[in-house]
Amino acid sequence: MAPALEARGLVKDFPVGLRGVRLRAVDHLDLTVRAGVIYGLLGPNGSGKSTTIKALLGLVLPSAGECRIFGRPSGEVAARRDVGYLPEAPYFYRHLTGRELVGFYGRLCGLGRRELAGRVETVVAQVGMTAAADRAVETYSKGMLQRIGLAQALVHDPRLLILDEPTAGVDPVGSAAMADLIRGLRDAGKTVLLTSHLLGQMEALCDRVAILAGGRLVAEGTVADLAGGTGRQQLEVDRLDEAQVTELRAWLAARGRGLHGVAAAGRGLDAVFLERVGRGKGEGTEA
Amino acid sequence: MNGAPFSFLRLGLVAQNTLREAVRQRLLHLFVGLALALVLGARGLQDFNFGAPELKFIADCGFGAMTLFGSTLTIAATAQLFFSEIENRTALTLLAKPVWRAEFLLGKLVGVALLTALFCALLTGLLAAVLWVREGELMALDPEGFRGGRAVSYAMVALGGWLQWLRLVVLAAFTLLVASFARTQVFAVVCGFGVLVICHLQHLAQEAYTRAGSAVGAALGGLFGGMFPNFQMLSLADSLAAADLPAPGTWLRLTAYGLGWALAAGLLAILSFRRREI
Amino acid sequence: MKSRLGLALLVCAGLALAGQVLDPLVAEARRQRREREPSLRLEPGVAVAGQGVTLALLGGFRALVADAAWIQMYARWERRDLAGTEAFARLVTTVDPRPVYFWLNAARILAYDFPAWRIESAGGYEAVPAAAQRAVNDAQAAEALELLAAARRRHPESVDLWVEEANIHLNRRGDPLAAAAAYREAWARPRAPFYVARLRAEVLRRAGRRAEALVWLREIHPALPAGDPGAGAELVLQRIRELEAELGVSVGEAYRPE
Repeated sequence: MAPALEARGLVKDFPVGLRGVRLRAVDHLDLTVRAGVIYGLLGPNGSGKSTTIKALLGLVLPSAGECRIFGRPSGEVAARRDVGYLPEAPYFYRHLTGRELVGFYGRLCGLGRRELAGRVETVVAQVGMTAAADRAVETYSKGMLQRIGLAQALVHDPRLLILDEPTAGVDPVGSAAMADLIRGLRDAGKTVLLTSHLLGQMEALCDRVAILAGGRLVAEGTVADLAGGTGRQQLEVDRLDEAQVTELRAWLAARGRGLHGVAAAGRGLDAVFLERVGRGKGEGTEA
Repeated sequence: MNGAPFSFLRLGLVAQNTLREAVRQRLLHLFVGLALALVLGARGLQDFNFGAPELKFIADCGFGAMTLFGSTLTIAATAQLFFSEIENRTALTLLAKPVWRAEFLLGKLVGVALLTALFCALLTGLLAAVLWVREGELMALDPEGFRGGRAVSYAMVALGGWLQWLRLVVLAAFTLLVASFARTQVFAVVCGFGVLVICHLQHLAQEAYTRAGSAVGAALGGLFGGMFPNFQMLSLADSLAAADLPAPGTWLRLTAYGLGWALAAGLLAILSFRRREI
Repeated sequence: MKSRLGLALLVCAGLALAGQVLDPLVAEARRQRREREPSLRLEPGVAVAGQGVTLALLGGFRALVADAAWIQMYARWERRDLAGTEAFARLVTTVDPRPVYFWLNAARILAYDFPAWRIESAGGYEAVPAAAQRAVNDAQAAEALELLAAARRRHPESVDLWVEEANIHLNRRGDPLAAAAAYREAWARPRAPFYVARLRAEVLRRAGRRAEALVWLREIHPALPAGDPGAGAELVLQRIRELEAELGVSVGEAYRPE
């Protein structure tokens, strides 16, 4: 079975200025995303993540190399039938309502009128936007825009979803809801390619990640491969006083092990926020 | 064949959306308002009591308003509707769907063409109504001067509106051609006005070179002039009389000429847009 | 850079090709239009009207500029400003020579209004000697006829221009024979109204050229459709009979309509 996404020797140069100096945004990138996983694309600003995504979608022409979606060259229009794309900080036609917007993209993807109505309802509900679906997009908050953006990406039931910073500017409740949605999509057999600056969230969500720097692939593998492997463990125990800590240190030393740090375990602000605000009760979110 | 043939349905969806976005723009309301005011203002000419030629003055004023505001509206709307898609990145979302760039670009062109069709139909209808009412008044005042019945051919007025529309569609296609490779909206707008002036003047330039007897000038004028449509051909002749109404064959050829240029500029815009980085 | 240059060349070539393919569609219409209305020339008279006028003309607002100038002309006409009226009348016919209306009315102003203004400014009809009045009339009529001749170069098929010429010969110059010649020209134009032919005969008759008038009426009568009140075939036949009686034409030589 062909991988969901594949980039081979991908190079993308942009001309800068009148003298034709070229800026290399992506430098000989090889990437394979298997079907059915959540794949994270990480990297600092300017590392080539967005350009890579555009090349994978056929929105920019590679200077060298090739990209394939489920085995089809991504330059082919038909290859995009299997892809749903949510760009970073999406901006949609302001005059349309959420429902009209999703319907518009659905029709562009070839859904017939009868099939469309059902699909629109399904995906609008899936992203928790049913209550706001008849409001004009121009009245939506950032988080609502992200969710309606995800709905338009899902409307034609694609096998692959490319989500560029889907939680950028979204509050923690919305962000957690989006993470739940993404997991749900993976569980439903979809492949998700994801970029985000929230490394904690990426670690929790992704099956595999690739790290880009200066347009080059600097690391790739499962989260466990990349983030694990220190040979250490964290234990969470009830509070010990100083004497008990000393005793524990001695007990470990007798077994050839060291105690490398002692810190009070907090619940984390995220957990407090979600508990107090209530998961699913963020702005415009439906439980 | 790659399994996703060119679709007129998708083109129509883009066009419909473009039109919907355009009619909500305040700029459009301003231009339509000004043009309507000018057409209605032409009624003020009756103070000069010109008799039958007053109707021609009203028609000139109406068609002048259509040309002035229609051209400005077309250039501004085409550039704005195109660049808003690029700058707001709605084009990214749209072209990430199974949509051909040709469908996107021609959809934009058709959307603007529909907008200008509404504009021309509205103003032509209003102009015809103003002419009809004033002609009726003049006929009552001076029955002798209108012995042969109504002096204005309303088919000619309709032809005038049709030719105006053809001009605006050609202008939209050329503006889109420039926008397809331009980096800024301002550049596309300036070039759009440049095209408008060239299309009005190219035949004059050619004749001037020919009169001057300069072979090089005539050749260059011919080559340059040949790259732009002649808007003089897409304007009404002076007369509004039924006797001067062009034969249907001429109407058809003028229509083919206008739409042919719009199609040519549109296809070249697709060629240029095909390689554009979104 | 190379690809952008290549694209620009390709677009230019495409436009030139489109021009070659599409131009024949309007070749005939362009030829006809050139015959009907010559191209705009930015002559010195137009250039001195100001940059605004020139720019408006370049923008394709020829008719509107002419209309505005014509209204300006009327403002000067109301003030009896000879120089201003003539300057604007000539500007209008230069900017937009297409409407016959402009030419006709400019000629009428030159032939009828100007002599009256000039004579009144010189003291009035009582004070100015008849010979001087005649000289003014002749000079103004000549100017008007010159303008009409220029108009006919633009509108060779216009009946109205020849009728106006005939009127000026008749009313301002007192030359019925020249008027008759102008009516003949008017009748020779396409779509000439029937009354033009009858007027020629009447002018000839009043000038004492009854035989010529009779020949003319006999010549045109067969072309007049019966039953059309505008054609006045009955009236023309009646006039033929009157002239035949006045000239003593025998019964055998009398006109017999077919």
